[in-house]
Amino acid sequence: MIQQLFGFLSYFIPEIICVVLMTTLLVAESTVKEEHGSRGKIIGYALAMLALCLLFLFQNLGEAPRFIFHNAITIDPFSTLIKIIMVLGTMGAIFLSYSSKDIYTNLKSEFAIMAVGVLLGGMLLASANNMLTLYLGIETLSILSYVMASFKRDESTSTEAGMKYALYGGLSAGVALYGISHLYGILGSIQFVDMVDKLPGLEGTNLLIVLVSFMFFFVGIGYKISVFPFHMWTPDVYQGSPIPVTSFFAIVPKMAGLAALIRVSFIFFNNNSALSISWTGLMLVISAMTMTVGNVTAIGQTSVKRLLAFSSIGHVGLMILGVVVLNEQGVRAILFYGIVYMFMTLIAFYITSHLSDMYGTDSYDVFKGLIYKHPTMAIIMAAVLFSLAGMPPFSGFVAKFNIFSVVIEKKLYGIAIVAAINSVIALYYYVKLAKTMIFGQADGDVKVLGFTSGNQAVIIALFIPVLFLGIFWEKVMIMSGNAVLFIK
Amino acid sequence: MNGILNWILWLPIIGAVVAIAIPNVKDNVVRWITLCTTSIVLVLTVVLYLKFDTSTAAMQFVVKVPWIEQFHINYHLGIDGITMLMTFLNALLFFICTLSSWTVEKNVKAYFALLLMLQSSVFGVFFSLDFFLFYVYWEVMLLPMFFLIGIWGGENREYAAIKFFLYTFFGSIFMLVGIIALYYASGKGVDSFSILAHQGGKYVNETVSIFGHTFSFEHLFFWFMFLGFAIKVPVFPFHTWLPHAHVQAPTAVSVILAGVLLKMGTYGFLRIAFPIFPQAAVHFSSIIAWLGLISVIYGAFCAMAQDDMKKLIAYSSVSHMGFVMLGLSAMTTQGMNGAVLQMFNHGTSTAMMFLLVGILYERSHHRWIVKPDGSKGYGGLSTKLPKYTVVFIIGMFASLGLPGLSGFISEALIFLGIYQKFTTITVIAVVGLLIGAAYLLWMFKRMFFGEVNPETEEYDDMNAREVFYMLPLCVCVVVFGIFPSPLLNVMKASVGQLVDLMAKF
Repeated sequence: MIQQLFGFLSYFIPEIICVVLMTTLLVAESTVKEEHGSRGKIIGYALAMLALCLLFLFQNLGEAPRFIFHNAITIDPFSTLIKIIMVLGTMGAIFLSYSSKDIYTNLKSEFAIMAVGVLLGGMLLASANNMLTLYLGIETLSILSYVMASFKRDESTSTEAGMKYALYGGLSAGVALYGISHLYGILGSIQFVDMVDKLPGLEGTNLLIVLVSFMFFFVGIGYKISVFPFHMWTPDVYQGSPIPVTSFFAIVPKMAGLAALIRVSFIFFNNNSALSISWTGLMLVISAMTMTVGNVTAIGQTSVKRLLAFSSIGHVGLMILGVVVLNEQGVRAILFYGIVYMFMTLIAFYITSHLSDMYGTDSYDVFKGLIYKHPTMAIIMAAVLFSLAGMPPFSGFVAKFNIFSVVIEKKLYGIAIVAAINSVIALYYYVKLAKTMIFGQADGDVKVLGFTSGNQAVIIALFIPVLFLGIFWEKVMIMSGNAVLFIK
Repeated sequence: MNGILNWILWLPIIGAVVAIAIPNVKDNVVRWITLCTTSIVLVLTVVLYLKFDTSTAAMQFVVKVPWIEQFHINYHLGIDGITMLMTFLNALLFFICTLSSWTVEKNVKAYFALLLMLQSSVFGVFFSLDFFLFYVYWEVMLLPMFFLIGIWGGENREYAAIKFFLYTFFGSIFMLVGIIALYYASGKGVDSFSILAHQGGKYVNETVSIFGHTFSFEHLFFWFMFLGFAIKVPVFPFHTWLPHAHVQAPTAVSVILAGVLLKMGTYGFLRIAFPIFPQAAVHFSSIIAWLGLISVIYGAFCAMAQDDMKKLIAYSSVSHMGFVMLGLSAMTTQGMNGAVLQMFNHGTSTAMMFLLVGILYERSHHRWIVKPDGSKGYGGLSTKLPKYTVVFIIGMFASLGLPGLSGFISEALIFLGIYQKFTTITVIAVVGLLIGAAYLLWMFKRMFFGEVNPETEEYDDMNAREVFYMLPLCVCVVVFGIFPSPLLNVMKASVGQLVDLMAKF
């Protein structure tokens, strides 16, 4: 028994590394003297550990799926790929937190501690194979997120963001737990495998209760990935939080939530039962509403952070279409989208962060005439915006193309048209920002700070995949495709 | 020889990269790099023309390399007679535009690099035989265009650039839905993204259902494609972006926009919308013809009402592209030949007009025929600028379709073609020609005759550079007006094949 458990632990190394990292960071935080350079060393250590974690994850990518800890956790290529995206996103956010002035400067490594904690929750969520693990994942993810949102202790917006996040989060987690308890009551188990077996035997009221319970359960996940109508918190939290936190929120909890949504949808609804038709119908409506609300609201924003927040809602709406079709191609498209979206989001937030650090605000004005102040960064930012809007030859187009293609393969033309119109709306607000950067005249000759050669190198390194995956995307598609094969 | 399309396609990009890569480069060096690149491309295009086999409608100089094998996407290039003409037009106009842009002083490096990228992406649209590649080039083309209008344009350039961008994107995103639908309708085979593999009316009997309503696959996606291409042409009522884009764009960009970019729309009909959905095209041909007719008449009347020269020429483009749509909707040999010929001839004549407007603008810094305060913008130009006047007369008469110049032949062919199908439309369309003559001659009268304006006194006549780049266009307009067979021979086989296909439905 014990031996078996230790055996399982060997598959759990990435998570263990995260736990070790988190605790050692805590110790370091309280023991390392605050002197010049100590912060950089701690963050360097965190990044190195995460890189190690990444190494193990890549090693796991080719392995067959395993169920460990009494079926509570699945380690399969799908969850591993999601974890890779999340670890990369975390590394990006931690790196950004090092140079960002938005993070309270007295902090040494608090950001890294919290981020790794949230990452751990996300990993748990991505691997969850029963309802309890799933709920634990959601909660681990959430509780530390609340703290992260209110990192700027002395600013009321940040505190407000944390408060809002906590209130909404607590409520939605409660609703999800309520749904899970009903599912347990009717299906008699929290293990996914056992629950699925009971599903076909249900009829009448029980079926209805199961459907409603799943909807309740969806509230918990829907809140994490901020889909309509659980998206209300997103803009305020994104705006109030420091930028590294925002970029982190735009990637890690979203990918974790999507992973859980995909897994649950695939395990429970991957057949043509009445239940599954209601579920996909629900997803279809939610997806259409999410992207429309996200994109239409983004138009009127004056703060770039808020703009990116709303646009991220739009992107999630598009990604959920990959769940609607409930096939391998759909999930493959989501995974590809997730990878590309992570790079684009990180770059967009990096550049926004440096600019808002310099001017103390993140309105459109700070982007005005960026092309004259820092041409390289302006061109990269413009390219990323076009990529987010889905213009070729950037990878955002390929991601959009894949989603469109899975939807049209299923002959869901109606939603394809909705998505098409949405991408025009999205183009409008992205172009408006690009226009400000490139057509606008700069006020004065001020050099933009923050873009040290190190930061530039990181941004360019992140930009290479955005460009490269737009033209040679076959390898990554095959990788995502392989990851999907074992989802059931 | 097979790689020649690759060279034509990628040379401009190489030129752009070289121009960008040299640090602290002098403006003149960039200009010469661009000129060298565009002239080599022009020479290659002439070589291409000489090697071109006019006897076959098949694709020539084909390059096919697998790109994304998983999705059966290929890097697939090739040209036929129709593309040959467009390729030549594109190479010629970009060569001329490089010369005409010599006076651009603002961010020279970026300007010429973007111009070269634009040339490459336009070639890409014309060469692509793979839907995915076609779509990528179709969209990529928007980016240099957006920046060229937005940075080097007139006062209201930001609005014009965004409107142009959004409008085209709106059309093309529907095209994307259509392209993907075709991919799945064809059964995801090896050539499922090949444009040619879809041609021939394979989807006549398929249906689709949207929101519970059943539509014919062919009819629905014909309109999806139509939207994408009609916005580009532009056909009434999708033309509203055009005057803004033209007026705000710098001269060279206007020339390219009117000269080649609009042709991408009609080219889309010829290569994609008609051959892939022939039954729908025939079924809706009267709607296309009426829309073409409205463009002709409406464009002409709008042109007549303009006080701004450039806006006048822009609306005349709407009118002339309406003729192309009319020729296409006829689906007869004469009509189709006329349409393709008109695409070429409009490219040269309208390029002349925009260049002439640009030349005058560089001297006067305004484009008013009648200034907003009611006074004359120009007057008596004919006495002060004799060379300019001669070139202007050639361009204007080619534009209004005077016999002996190029515009006449294509318009005559279009009328011959359409008369067999839509007699009423033909009769009304002739009025469009008349209005066309009226607004151009009226503009000419107001600008070139009458008292000499005090300002006009100081203008210099065209300099050697300007004469040099106007010359090839004058030659084209005159020679192809008298002797159009070099053009007609090249496209005969390809157009014939399309007409034969349409005749079956």
